[in-house]
Amino acid sequence: MDNNKFVEVKNLRKVYDNGHEAIKNVSFAVKKGDLVCLLGPSGCGKTTILNILAGLLNPTSGEILFDGKSVVDVEPKDRHIGYVFQNYALYPHMTVLQNVMFPLVVGKNKKPKADAERIAQKYMELTQITELADQKPENLSGGQQQRVAIARALVQEPKILLMDEPLSNLDARLRLKIREEIRALVKSVGITTLFVTHDQEEALSIGDKIILFNDGVIQQDDLGQNFYLEPNNYFVANFVGNPVIDNFKVTKIENKLKANDFTIDIADLDQSRFKRTLADGDYLLSVRPENIFPALDGLLQATVDDVELIGRERVLKFTNDETQARSLVNLEMPIKHGDQVKLKMRLDRVFLFTPDGERVY
Amino acid sequence: MKTNQKKAWLFLAPTIIFVTLFSIYPILRAFGMSFQSGSLIDLTWTGFNNYKYIFSDPDFWLALKNTLLYAVISVPVGLAISIMLAWIIFDKVKHQSLFETTFFMPYVTSTIAIGIVFRYIFNGDYGMLNFLLRNLHMPAPDWIDDPAMSLTTIIIFGIWSSLAFNIVILMGALRNIDPNYYTIADMYGASGKDKFWRITMPQLVPTIAFLLTMNIIGAFKIYTSVYALFNGQAGVGNSGTTAVFYIYNKFQTVGTPGVAMAATVVLFLIILFATFLQRKMMKKIGEN
Repeated sequence: MDNNKFVEVKNLRKVYDNGHEAIKNVSFAVKKGDLVCLLGPSGCGKTTILNILAGLLNPTSGEILFDGKSVVDVEPKDRHIGYVFQNYALYPHMTVLQNVMFPLVVGKNKKPKADAERIAQKYMELTQITELADQKPENLSGGQQQRVAIARALVQEPKILLMDEPLSNLDARLRLKIREEIRALVKSVGITTLFVTHDQEEALSIGDKIILFNDGVIQQDDLGQNFYLEPNNYFVANFVGNPVIDNFKVTKIENKLKANDFTIDIADLDQSRFKRTLADGDYLLSVRPENIFPALDGLLQATVDDVELIGRERVLKFTNDETQARSLVNLEMPIKHGDQVKLKMRLDRVFLFTPDGERVY
Repeated sequence: MKTNQKKAWLFLAPTIIFVTLFSIYPILRAFGMSFQSGSLIDLTWTGFNNYKYIFSDPDFWLALKNTLLYAVISVPVGLAISIMLAWIIFDKVKHQSLFETTFFMPYVTSTIAIGIVFRYIFNGDYGMLNFLLRNLHMPAPDWIDDPAMSLTTIIIFGIWSSLAFNIVILMGALRNIDPNYYTIADMYGASGKDKFWRITMPQLVPTIAFLLTMNIIGAFKIYTSVYALFNGQAGVGNSGTTAVFYIYNKFQTVGTPGVAMAATVVLFLIILFATFLQRKMMKKIGEN
């Protein structure tokens, strides 16, 4: 058995009845025991993939393998998966204990009540909800309901846990706490988990690996930091990162990159980072806000439109060539609204994209 | 705060006036009349005589017995069939709205009209029902003209007419159940039976309690369907008489409003008690 491909998706495609192609030829693999985040803006197809993995939707074409075996024609109940819904879908007429026991007392493989209760107790201890056993879901906080939903998803001892935006119903502070708990929990159980989210910060903090989707296509399937340092394309560079990346329109003429009011000599760029030789034409130069900063020998002149404080850093907002751009500077830097600054870029950290988004530097 | 309260009375006034005039006053008046005798324009105090009269009147006891039997049989059976049909439409049928509309038709059709149609269906000689029963080699009783069959006929008719309203309300309740409950249950391998008894039924309890109350009250007030089925009579030899039929008869035909009102008060107390009991019961079920 190949543990690196515990879950494997090959050439998956999904076209809905209305003709909308939600998933276009998606392939990826998940290592056994990993927590993988499926990240992307709404409508990118991430939940569709989760539902196809769960068997709630049928793929139009493609192959899904769990532990080396195809599950495309396997009923959801026989796929050995646990599923946590966005709204948890706890049964309101049942107590916490009855909710957690539910998967064990229905269907063909139902267990005697005492056994079911024992197993349920075990998972309730794990998720720290033992003292809530007799409560109804309506009396629980969002975080507690979340734990009940996870305990219920785990009692059948599934091989794979699927979570669909499980934190989106919680307030910001609780979200931070619960996401750490979820990570600790799935790691202690050792279950392979796929976690759908639209929140990049959540994905970066919780996932062993992130798969970023857009328009039904995988944009990047990588470790968290690589989305930041080595984005595959223009979409990834712009989706990941907060504050968002700055983009400048440039044109390559001979060995210069010319923008409206600054010019970069291509010889100053790190030659080893070029993916291919640049043809003459239009490009997009993208630079993370922390890699563009005020300096006396800066190459572009700008007026600070606004200064935004975000914790120990400040974001200087300025307009260049009709696009808003940002520079991330230290809190102490004495720059205020309306100041004229010269900005310098770390040229070994900028990215260059073709107009259709392909990364060339 | 005080000005608010004054304004509230103003807004409540139309309702209060109408309810007082057309609901509260008639109830009190009926209660008063039950202790009076004579014709409507010449009522005199008579104490408990009217009550003594109805409790010694075998017709009254027959009417009560029929009404009780009707309520006790037609309500649970009707509700059970409604739940079954609503579940089938909800779970298995594709063009739900079409069926829902079809099932709702009887509710907006006049009971008298339906009753006339049922007189044909139930007819002993050329009725559709007996035609079917004979073809199946089953006994074909005389539904309308046999005094022993009157109550059965009324019950069948009652069950049929209660379906419309019940199904529409139940469909609404079924639609309100989060579909994810079933998705999750499917994922855990729950069978159709598991899903029905562990998810659907508990979720329907409040709706069923409401329908039970409505149906029981309706059943105790049965009148129109008897009138329509037996062409203005209460069945052959009054065999299908009901409480309201008895009240109407004493009031309008015999001309003893006092007796009619005494029967009304007794019926009112029975309905009150039945509703109270039923609510207590449903609360117990809801808690478990």
